[in-house]
Amino acid sequence: MKPRLWLALFIIPLGLIIAAVPQNTIHPYKLTPAQMLEEVNTRTQFIAPETVADMLVKKDPTLQLIDVRSLDEFEKFSLPGAIHIPIADLLSEQYVEVFDQDVKMNVFYSNSTLTANEAWMLTRQLGYNNIYVLEGGLNYWFDAIVNPQKPESTSSDEEFAKYDFRMGASQALGGGSVAAQSSDNKTTAPKPVIRQTPKKKKAAGGC
Amino acid sequence: MGPLAVNELISENTNLFLAFLIGIAFGFVLEASGFSSSRKLAGVFYGYDMVVLKVFFTGAITAMLGLLFFGLFGWIDLDLVYVNPTYLTSAIAGGVVMGLGFIMGGYCPGTSFCGASIGKIDAMVFIIGLFLGVSLFGAGYNWWEELYMAKNLGDPKISESLGLSDGVFALILIVIALAMFTMADWAEKKFPREEY
Amino acid sequence: MSESKNTIIRTKYLNPYLGGVLLGLVLLAANFVAGRGLGASGAIKSGVVTVVTAVNPSSVESSSFVKEYRQSHTGNPMKTWLVFEMLGVLVGGFLSGILAGRLKLKVEHSPKITSNKRLVLALGGGVLFGFGSQLGRGCTSGSALSGMAVLSLGGFITMMAIFGTAFAFAYFFRKNWI
Repeated sequence: MKPRLWLALFIIPLGLIIAAVPQNTIHPYKLTPAQMLEEVNTRTQFIAPETVADMLVKKDPTLQLIDVRSLDEFEKFSLPGAIHIPIADLLSEQYVEVFDQDVKMNVFYSNSTLTANEAWMLTRQLGYNNIYVLEGGLNYWFDAIVNPQKPESTSSDEEFAKYDFRMGASQALGGGSVAAQSSDNKTTAPKPVIRQTPKKKKAAGGC
Repeated sequence: MGPLAVNELISENTNLFLAFLIGIAFGFVLEASGFSSSRKLAGVFYGYDMVVLKVFFTGAITAMLGLLFFGLFGWIDLDLVYVNPTYLTSAIAGGVVMGLGFIMGGYCPGTSFCGASIGKIDAMVFIIGLFLGVSLFGAGYNWWEELYMAKNLGDPKISESLGLSDGVFALILIVIALAMFTMADWAEKKFPREEY
Repeated sequence: MSESKNTIIRTKYLNPYLGGVLLGLVLLAANFVAGRGLGASGAIKSGVVTVVTAVNPSSVESSSFVKEYRQSHTGNPMKTWLVFEMLGVLVGGFLSGILAGRLKLKVEHSPKITSNKRLVLALGGGVLFGFGSQLGRGCTSGSALSGMAVLSLGGFITMMAIFGTAFAFAYFFRKNWI
């Protein structure tokens, strides 16, 4: 009886403390500063607006756009299918599921790339993969996709193909002026390779 | 931060050596608690000796709390700790077969080694049986491979499946365990047996 | 134990709650060091694979059981965490036995049955347990105890199945224990 009482006296408070602590309180930073710097320098996190537009047109289910601006801006205009996670709430528990998975590509965007990059740095350091930043942000998106500039007649074929694609995309996405579309798309940006950081192998267990 | 071997803070050989030391501690504690006696082990099913229940649940809870607190203090990376996978069909089937073996033999593999180490011949025979049983499984593997691999649910945690946080589940388990300990102490008083 | 009962002579064992806490600490250490819990049946599996491949080298190809094991464990099958741990268990149990004066070569059985019957039951129980531990991917140490500590659902299910079944069959085996 007595030892049981001592045991209870000890483990119940511990249990109460651990129950009160929210899940995932400590998620250690998984990348070293050197690794982080290398990724920043090679700019691997950027994804071209054409790629995103292509995925939107094809209704690719693995794309997840995330708007990190304020709620007002999000409600005024947002990209199709985008969810809103203001940067201030980025580390909140409710969004862990969005990042902690290997299936969808999360693409942050903001007006320029400033805030989106900040969001990328934070979530990347927590070890999440499949995180990207929309190159040029919404500003570039408007210029490039919604109202693409017709290239000069002396531009290369690629430029024209890109323009055609953008026009097509902007139509599909409901913006900009109407123009003839070319049938095939020579410059589809290559699908970004989903890089896996070498995940530390868990020890084999059981038995 | 832990786990040491997974984060490569210790070499594989150090890991194996530490396994040996941990095993010594494991065997010592088991034997000192009386787990080297098959009659004490079987006692939990008849009410006369509830040592299995008390040691088992106290141990599980201590380790559980320990891991959660270590995670909280940043001393261990809980994502890297092995969580047993859930293969629904074989988990239940294996458990049933083991349960029958337990009530028949009065040992489980870990405790049988303890019993054998202090000279219990029935424990040694149990170990021989273990070898035979495993060989039997291996020999006929093709027949039950499908059953063995059925219904792989990944490696979910109990708390996840119940939609609770780990800490809340730990607290609930603590309360349940303490209730069981109270019942166990009552049972031992009600069904006493001579000592063995 | 602290209480003295008239009809019962207690052997000098640790208080179960203290034993439980110590066991929990050992399990915690195992997880901290190796990132995995304790276990036992895996060591038996290593032993079986070693013996089988020594006796019949062609089994590496012919037996899918052996083949799968070798694929996931390169090198000597006996050089695994569990084998070293179980060797430690032998030493630890022995040490505790010496200190407590419990070393004795004997067959432990209820006075109501013969020691031969006990041995037969032990063998049968062992065979069943060995088979079941492979099917259930772990025994009480590996699946139930270590599984509970990391909150594994599979571990919990296996534990319930083991203890539930044992309770269910306890009545039929009662003559052998009480």
